[in-house]
Amino acid sequence: MSSLTPFFQWCDNTVISQAIRDSKYAFPVIENLHLFGLTVLLGTLVVLALRQFGVLYSSQPISEVARALRPWNRWSVVIMLITGILLFLSEAMKCFSNQSFRVKMIFLFAALLFQFTIYNRIVRSEDKVAPAGGKIAAAIVLCLWFGVGLAGRAIGFLG
Amino acid sequence: MSILDMCQWLQDTNIGTSIRESIWVFPIIEGTHVLALSISVGLLLVSDLRLMGYIMKTRPASEVYEQIKPWMFTGFAIMIVTGIFLFWCQAVKAYNSIFFKTKIVLLVVAALNAILFERGIYRRVDKWDNALVPPMQARLAGWASLILWAAIITCGRTMAYTF
Repeated sequence: MSSLTPFFQWCDNTVISQAIRDSKYAFPVIENLHLFGLTVLLGTLVVLALRQFGVLYSSQPISEVARALRPWNRWSVVIMLITGILLFLSEAMKCFSNQSFRVKMIFLFAALLFQFTIYNRIVRSEDKVAPAGGKIAAAIVLCLWFGVGLAGRAIGFLG
Repeated sequence: MSILDMCQWLQDTNIGTSIRESIWVFPIIEGTHVLALSISVGLLLVSDLRLMGYIMKTRPASEVYEQIKPWMFTGFAIMIVTGIFLFWCQAVKAYNSIFFKTKIVLLVVAALNAILFERGIYRRVDKWDNALVPPMQARLAGWASLILWAAIITCGRTMAYTF
């Protein structure tokens, strides 16, 4: 891990990092946007997963529900990443020594990878009933993203 | 006994003190409160967007709304229960916070908005159920709901700060 020290130090010292630290309001504002992103991201995933489990919107094909939610889901990921990077820059060295941050990053890379390579492709092809594989994929994507949220919340609490 | 005295008494109860001083209980309740945003406001977003005429336009508005309702209410029930415990253990801090007071007022307004929608334009939903873009009153209810909830989330998160 120590080979990453210079990178974290550099992140901690950018103009943006300092500007956010110097402002009284920047951090809470960015944090609030991050929370909006979380609500939309997890919300759209929960709706789609409930559809795959067969307990919501059964009259709509799964691919149609996925298509309706896709732009909201995508943009929320974009907002999460942008605001997340800004929050990270403003306290990169705190994150460096934070166990929960490391766990969060592992969950985050797994979630992004799984959603954009496997999960999105699966829901695109599903019609009225999700096969067992689709339901398992829905459970996995929920666990990964809720893991990101949980570990993210733990950064402030547990260190 | 003033309201502040009652808040002080509440957070000094055994339950209030134990939650506040526990290493795990407070973060677990707080984490649940934050993550349950996804099943309360997150699901509400979908039905509001249908009311505003942005998504699932070819599906009846009542179908989008009614089917999501039980799940959404489950989410809001989790929010209320965890929220009560969070208030319980730090009632004085909440009482002194302008953001908490604003949040409570906005929660009441959001509830009124929902009731007005149900008792108003939604009673005649059979007339506009299949409209791609619902009537103005329904769209306004959707907009008001989303703006109010965004403000409620903001107040909740900002409670942690003192400027």
